[in-house]
Amino acid sequence: MTERLRVGLVSFAHVHAPGLANTLGALDRVEFTGIYDDDEKRGRGAASAHATRWHPTLDRLLATSDAIVIASNNADHRRYTEAAAKARVHVLCEKPLATTTADAMAMIDACRSAGVQLGTAFPVRSSPAVMALKEAIAAGSLGRIRAIRATNPGQYPGSWFGDKRQAGGGSAMDHTVHAADAIRWLIGDEFSRVQAEFGSFIYGLDVEDCGVMTCDLAGGAFASIDCSWSRPQTFPTWGGVTLHVVGEKGTVDIDVFRQALTHYDDTAGRTRLVGWGDDLTARMVAGFVDAILARRPVPISGEDGLRALEVAIAGYRSAETKRPVAISDVRA
Amino acid sequence: MPLRVGVLGTGFAGSMHAHSALAIDGAQVVAVAAVPLTDATSLAKECGARVASAEEICAADDIDLVVVATPTYLHAQHAIAAARAGKHVFCEKPLARTLADAEAMVRAADEARVTLAVGHVVRFFPEYRQAKELLDAGTLGKPAIVTMTRGNFAVGSARGWYLDEDKSGGVVLDLMLHDLDTVRWWFGEPSRIYAKRFKGSGGLEYALATIRYDERPIVQIEASWAEHSGFRTGFELRGDRGMLVHDSRAASPIALQSPSGPAGPAMMATPTLHETPYLVQLRDLFARIARGEPPLVDGPEGLRSLALGLAVIRSADTGEVVNWKAPQ
Repeated sequence: MTERLRVGLVSFAHVHAPGLANTLGALDRVEFTGIYDDDEKRGRGAASAHATRWHPTLDRLLATSDAIVIASNNADHRRYTEAAAKARVHVLCEKPLATTTADAMAMIDACRSAGVQLGTAFPVRSSPAVMALKEAIAAGSLGRIRAIRATNPGQYPGSWFGDKRQAGGGSAMDHTVHAADAIRWLIGDEFSRVQAEFGSFIYGLDVEDCGVMTCDLAGGAFASIDCSWSRPQTFPTWGGVTLHVVGEKGTVDIDVFRQALTHYDDTAGRTRLVGWGDDLTARMVAGFVDAILARRPVPISGEDGLRALEVAIAGYRSAETKRPVAISDVRA
Repeated sequence: MPLRVGVLGTGFAGSMHAHSALAIDGAQVVAVAAVPLTDATSLAKECGARVASAEEICAADDIDLVVVATPTYLHAQHAIAAARAGKHVFCEKPLARTLADAEAMVRAADEARVTLAVGHVVRFFPEYRQAKELLDAGTLGKPAIVTMTRGNFAVGSARGWYLDEDKSGGVVLDLMLHDLDTVRWWFGEPSRIYAKRFKGSGGLEYALATIRYDERPIVQIEASWAEHSGFRTGFELRGDRGMLVHDSRAASPIALQSPSGPAGPAMMATPTLHETPYLVQLRDLFARIARGEPPLVDGPEGLRSLALGLAVIRSADTGEVVNWKAPQ
């Protein structure tokens, strides 16, 4: 019998939690140890819906797990991660890694001191199209990459996502990091400077729901990130991730979630897209689990999460000061 | 008496305007100029016009309006010569390569009391007009975030003057200027600008600009000479009550393929509108001139859009945010 990793799920607050629970229940190499949630009702409901155990305390879940996946609100990532590290349990944390760089660094330190691994949930890296693009860039087929325009606009998720205290910000905190991580990973370079324009234009929130960031990379390329909750309620899907990549020898367009049926649904009275592409969440979690089992470094680290978070944090400072902000200025 | 038109330049724009003028009742094309002159022969023949130099056309007695469709850096000298000779001027965008040139053109037209119109043709594209109508009707609610894109192959690989920043202003003054003008038309004057661009080999160039309005919206504009499969436009206009999406590639009602690959117009015409926006633009101008009315996009308006394009270039060159104040 193959070795299995015992993995628990902490909190069902995040919109990605159901997908993560499905994955944990389905992966061969995972023994899904159950769910802990600060909100007992939500936790019990989720555990029952996903045919797994509900744990009344975090310690009980940690005691039966080798690793946890954290799907709480953003501000709680640090305390769950530190508790897991203390219990010598590995962590795969939803994005953004934290709401401040100080929290993210504390999480990285806690895991490193405890000898456990910290991973960040960036499923875009698992897209076959994005992986193919990375290979083509590495092989030099596109020539030097000069510019990338990334978009990650979505519908407003509601609940705590618009609450600065729990989320750390609005759409820019929610959406910048996916694109920032994909760009870093694709061209193997680091962000150096960020300019951002944010606005709260659509939902009457205290946080931004519209944002565009324009960034320099250390190696000379530039990139922009649309980090908005700009998809209308009538939009046929939650949102999407696109990349327009301009190289000296070629231009590539990627629409990560393009593989979808258009469903004109008279029963529901609406049109929606039904994705049929690979399950990126499952591949991302499997990559994390396999690395832990093989005692290798996880493919997407806490440092990766921190680097992407720095881009968002620099964006907030730029939007406030109306000037470009160097990444080195938001590093502690 | 018909409006007698002289056309300077036989590239995409000159040829398009000459054919448009031909199709307008009450207008005739009497002369066509190119450098070298022989380049004007075939277009002149199609129009039943004579071949003449730009200088002759600007000075000729039998011409009422001069279409300036020469390379950008030559617009000023040609438009000013035509205006001083008492001719109306229809000038391709950008109005000029520099603000000083643009100001001199506006002044020359004022002094000569002739019309100076600028070819910001996107204001005549039906998809952009529809968007403007929906915006003005309030159907979209208040504008929130807008993205616009315009791309083409590296045109400088075919026409070398585009590669010279001092002559053309690159992809910003060629392509992005359309969307910068559109943004002014849709939303008025912005408050600040931040932009990036690169130039690569073989005429490759790409630019991104964020145009911020005091209150709203945030606009991002992409302009590319790295769209190797050809011309493309698009926009997403998100208001707080809805969103409009345009993608020219998804909007073509006809597509042609052949065993030998993409055959293009050599095999059959692929029209998408009965009348091109270029024709509608020119007819509108001629009618306004006949009625003694100002053009839809006059010299000062073209100058303001040019100034916004130059501000984008300044931001890209300096790496800093440029605060915008429209020239009066």
